[in-house]
Amino acid sequence: MADQDTIDLVKTIEVDKYKYGFETDIESDYAPKGLNEDIVRFISAKKGEPAWMLEWRLEAYRAWTHMEEPTWAKVHYPKIDFQDLYYYAAPKSMAAPKSLDEIDPKLLETYAKLGIPLKEQEILAGVRKQGEKSTLDDDGNEVTAGRVAIDAVFDSVSVVTTFKAELAKAGVIFCSISEALREHPILVKQYLGSVVPAGDNYYAALNAGVFSDGSFVYVPPGVRCPMELSTYFRMNAKNTGQFERTLIIADKGSYVSYLEGCTAPTREESQLHAAVVELIALDDAEIKYSTVQNWYPGDAEGKGGVYNFVTKRGDCRGARSKISWTQVETGSAITWKYPSCILRGESSRGEFYSIAISNGRQQVDSGTKMIHLGKNSSSRIVSKGIAAGRSDNTYRGLVSAHRKALNARNFTQCDSLLIGDQCGAHTVPYIEAKTSTAIFEHEATTSKISDDQMFYCMSRGLSQEEAVALFVNGFVRDVLQQLPMEFMAETQKLIGISLEGSVG
Amino acid sequence: MSIALQPTAAEQAFGMSLPHRRMEEWRWTDLRARLDKPYPSIDTAVDEKSVARIMAASPLAGIAKYRAVFVNGKFDATNSTIPALLPSVIPAQAGIHLSIKENRVQSDSRLRGNDDGVDDPLVVLNTSLKPEGVTLHFSSNITVLVEIMHIATNAAPRAVALRNHIEVAAGASATIIETFIGEGDYVLSSVTELELGEGARLDRIKLEWESAKANHLSQVVATLAKDARLNEFTLTSGAALNRQNGTYTFVGQNADAKISGAYLLNGKQHADTCLVVDHKVPHCTSRELFKCVMDDHARGIFQGKVIVRKHAQKTDGKQSSHALLLSETAEFDAKPELEIYADDVVCGHGATSGDINPDHLFYLRSRGIPEAEAKSLLIAAFVGEAFDNVENDDVRAALVNFAEDWLRQK
Repeated sequence: MADQDTIDLVKTIEVDKYKYGFETDIESDYAPKGLNEDIVRFISAKKGEPAWMLEWRLEAYRAWTHMEEPTWAKVHYPKIDFQDLYYYAAPKSMAAPKSLDEIDPKLLETYAKLGIPLKEQEILAGVRKQGEKSTLDDDGNEVTAGRVAIDAVFDSVSVVTTFKAELAKAGVIFCSISEALREHPILVKQYLGSVVPAGDNYYAALNAGVFSDGSFVYVPPGVRCPMELSTYFRMNAKNTGQFERTLIIADKGSYVSYLEGCTAPTREESQLHAAVVELIALDDAEIKYSTVQNWYPGDAEGKGGVYNFVTKRGDCRGARSKISWTQVETGSAITWKYPSCILRGESSRGEFYSIAISNGRQQVDSGTKMIHLGKNSSSRIVSKGIAAGRSDNTYRGLVSAHRKALNARNFTQCDSLLIGDQCGAHTVPYIEAKTSTAIFEHEATTSKISDDQMFYCMSRGLSQEEAVALFVNGFVRDVLQQLPMEFMAETQKLIGISLEGSVG
Repeated sequence: MSIALQPTAAEQAFGMSLPHRRMEEWRWTDLRARLDKPYPSIDTAVDEKSVARIMAASPLAGIAKYRAVFVNGKFDATNSTIPALLPSVIPAQAGIHLSIKENRVQSDSRLRGNDDGVDDPLVVLNTSLKPEGVTLHFSSNITVLVEIMHIATNAAPRAVALRNHIEVAAGASATIIETFIGEGDYVLSSVTELELGEGARLDRIKLEWESAKANHLSQVVATLAKDARLNEFTLTSGAALNRQNGTYTFVGQNADAKISGAYLLNGKQHADTCLVVDHKVPHCTSRELFKCVMDDHARGIFQGKVIVRKHAQKTDGKQSSHALLLSETAEFDAKPELEIYADDVVCGHGATSGDINPDHLFYLRSRGIPEAEAKSLLIAAFVGEAFDNVENDDVRAALVNFAEDWLRQK
């Protein structure tokens, strides 16, 4: 039983213990502390980028210097000193690895510890044994569909991308964005910044100026990506901001499912993470983007933790295209994240499924925007917020229909569950209907697990913790079911861990 | 973003800066841009004939037994039907104490619109316009209706203000009507304070039927003591620009507030209701229901916020806003917000927006009802749900009539 797993896990882990809080002792190359145009030039030069890219970065940086930090979100934190951060940190041994053999074993160890066996997968898939996929079938215990290609990002650089060769056979480009800038500059130039412009908002502008790596995916027309793609982000170096940029393009009639996972070491001081994700779906294409965000949330007193200020936006550019966001947010001291869909194409569809769990002193302000521009576009939002400890959990969402978005359709459901009387759950939905043909429905509820429900379960022999785990898993089921199979079980465990110490 | 803006003509006339769309609560109603000319605070000569005509035109004419009438912001003794006026005491056995106050300006802490100590701009505006108004004190169970009526006559653009204070003593009950009706181009600023004592009960019906050019800016500040019960209904159908703020605070346990309203808007009308229901104590119940009908280019907005403070356990708060858009160019914006700091509560909100359901229309037509009539029936049923919250039969019937007339004119 998955529920039993959750409870067992909760029991084995002490309160306040973040499982992924270890630090990897590895020498890193840093850019000088602080932020100025030279740092932007430094990063661009490190990546060997074309001149237009540097220009783009500088423009974004200059725009950023004139922008003001947004304060509208329901989160509180001390002012960030942007001059007291390193904007670039790369493991030293990572100059230019050609294959896994050249990668520092310490790095591989880190990922293995996080449960991401890059090496094994690479061998199984066989960068060196290309074409011999029969070995997999012989093993019998590995099914092709169950495999996942991973792009592992360590601080500012992409360490390794697995299954590249096999993906290439299908015509799918999956690599780090630095590599894409070198090898597919035309594609990058065409799409980069077309969904989230360089000056879109404060953190997006900062990211555009200093982003150091991220993933790039291009799925050619009519191709169904043969496996799940995944990026794993790891923050390690001290006082470092992580700024990654992900760009996914699904060409006409293609399909791709992408998963992102994040962890960071336990540190006393807070770390900044400001990412930008751009998704582009052309005619009939579908992108499924799932996130399991488990950055270090800070200790029980709110010391340390990651500030997660992320801009994620998908553009359903083509007719009948579909973008689906699924997120499980359990980590970060502060989350400021609104994965959005611009439903530009006729009959395009946007989906947003979210589980946001906050415990301790975490502050979450997350939600989505569904901007209906095309005729017959539809969207669905299911958000489940769980607040425990002394945390604040806010859903903030916008659903809007343009005058020309005839027959736009939206259904929104956002439910909050409060565990304990020191936490807060807030819902701030915005609904803008500019045409009568749009049909919008919005529902929100806030509740706690009722005494009757607890009594019923406990009278049947469940302990208090078991009963709570049962209800929470039931509460989030709608969203869990949207996750790729591989991550469902893991997520259930994660939910259990996040809520530890909140009961009773 | 703090940008120093050049004061507009209207701002200069008011001597204050007006809220604009960069402010969160005003994102859909840019008052600064909407008030595009100065509205000075000047006395206007009153023409008795037009006052009589406007009064007779009121959909609620003749329902209330006692009436305090204000014309262009000034108390009108001749048309008021409260026995024994200034200094103001109605026969004691009636249980109503009324006083007319001139230039009522007082710094009342309860009028602070929000918790950060900044006065709500509508209250500041009202204060700066030196409003007149009545203080009504109900000390027993009053079954007769009392109406406060404001009439604006056609004259040069101007600003007029009204500030009323209604107190219902412990155990007392009352029904009060506030009517706003007029002609011409003006800004009407109204602040109503409602104070409900222990176990008090107040039914308040507000009819906003200002002139088609008018700007109606109102604020209600209500406090509910233990076991108090407030039932409020607002019908919004007039004015080019309408902004209604309401703050309802529970200060005693087991109190109950029912706040409902309906919009009947057409042309280029713009109506924005912004409510804050603040559950400061446990065991209180709040219900909000708004039914908004928009035709032509009209724009309806509903912003509702339910705050449940720490320790306000067993709160039961429900909020719903529904819009019916009758034309493709009509617009509805909503922001139903929940801010909850207590865990043992049941709170929810629902918001919908859409056209008349074609299935419903088909059903009625298949039963032989012509399309226009079927539509009227469906619209009437849609807003009717909110009208049902009006307890007084006469008032409800008059409001339903008004809605039917509105539909017929369509």
